[in-house]
Amino acid sequence: MAESAEHVTCQEVVELVTDYLEQALPADEAAVFEQHLNFCDGCDWYVDQMRTTIATVGRIEEENVPPAIREKLLAAFRDRRRS
Amino acid sequence: MTQAEVQTSKASAAEAELARLRAGDERAFEALVTRHYGTMLAVAQTYVKGRSVAEEVVQETWLGVIQGLDRFEGRSSLKTWILSILVHKAKTRGVREARTVPFASLGPDDAEAAVAPERFRGAGDGFAGHWRAYPGNWHASAEVTAQDRETLRVAMRAIAELPSAQSTVIRMRDVEGYSSEEVCAALDVSEGNQRVLLHRARSRVRSALERHLDG
Amino acid sequence: MIAYKFLRPDGRSVFTGFEWPLPDDTPGAWVEAPVVPCRSGIHACRTADLPLWLGRSLYEVELAGDIVEERTKVVASRARLLRRIDAWNDDLRDSYTRDCADRAHVLARSASPPMDDWDAVVELGIPEGPALLGFVAARIAEERDGLDAYHAERDRQRSWLVERLALADSV
Repeated sequence: MAESAEHVTCQEVVELVTDYLEQALPADEAAVFEQHLNFCDGCDWYVDQMRTTIATVGRIEEENVPPAIREKLLAAFRDRRRS
Repeated sequence: MTQAEVQTSKASAAEAELARLRAGDERAFEALVTRHYGTMLAVAQTYVKGRSVAEEVVQETWLGVIQGLDRFEGRSSLKTWILSILVHKAKTRGVREARTVPFASLGPDDAEAAVAPERFRGAGDGFAGHWRAYPGNWHASAEVTAQDRETLRVAMRAIAELPSAQSTVIRMRDVEGYSSEEVCAALDVSEGNQRVLLHRARSRVRSALERHLDG
Repeated sequence: MIAYKFLRPDGRSVFTGFEWPLPDDTPGAWVEAPVVPCRSGIHACRTADLPLWLGRSLYEVELAGDIVEERTKVVASRARLLRRIDAWNDDLRDSYTRDCADRAHVLARSASPPMDDWDAVVELGIPEGPALLGFVAARIAEERDGLDAYHAERDRQRSWLVERLALADSV
């Protein structure tokens, strides 16, 4: 947690950002966090970078399914119709 | 769309998908498998040792899904249901093989800084702890979009390189969209622990994106 | 309850980007948001909170419904903007920034020993504007003389704003 009740440093912000976005910071700490973003462009941009990172990860769709496994599962799925 | 409209549209898309699966639509099934396979493998690997054993567990899960499709009542989402089958099979297999990886060993060990300490002012500098130079403003550049294919590839590579516990959590939370409660229950880990793993994973992926975007 | 709210120049909320119905000759429309701690509700400033949340545009706001007073802000379930406080313009922002910078220098240089490292960063912060310089002055006061001095400096900033903006002062 932050050293002072009244402020956080940028170095603390980059460690607290996940708690903040998860809404896991207690009300007073969230307020201090937001006060910091209000005056610090650097951290405002960092939190924005983090949101962009989460959005990017959220768009990952391709996964490599080994072809043999894919065929086996599809075959099992086809067989279901017949039963 | 309003919140209510988004919920309704998600619900009808889910109903449509379930209907297609029950009707034997192979494309729908293939899409489902493709979407969840990587994360299922990651979760299985937290219970059993060895990738091939984990792959078996995942396959058995899919067979269970196929068999259970008609009985599935749709009270939870499809992916929640699939996860529950997976965890059950993985736990059973893990116990039988007596090679369960205890979750304690997946927990965060030493501290890992989200951003290299030298990027912040030191104790003797006045304004200690503040950025020496600000990170980039990604919204200022038009090329930065979460849909950009190269950016997606960089993110995927970064996730593939994460330690397994971090990889599993970020996959479940951010790729798949499971809630933190679901992740904690599936991996048998505390909320705080889960959040630390998520934090480290996201920080590493952000760093990878930063190297790619800002050089 | 009358309070204050900073918005972006385009009338959007600073953190949520919410587009506020702006007042002209008459108050803007009422906005509702249930109060859920840390999750939702309309945030506003009492005068003591102003230095902490300095933004580009300042409005007087009327709060109603459920009102929760937190340590550095007020949260309400219902609010409407009454009027824009035009006195909070670029000139006054610059004036406030300069005043805080001067205070920061005085505090740093008169410390024993002088806080040269802090003194050196004051001018660098000027382009970042009033919110940063207000923070720097208060932080230097805190480094010098502890948390009470931090609060005293923030209170000095509050007085400055209340007087220049001709606000009805509340506690």
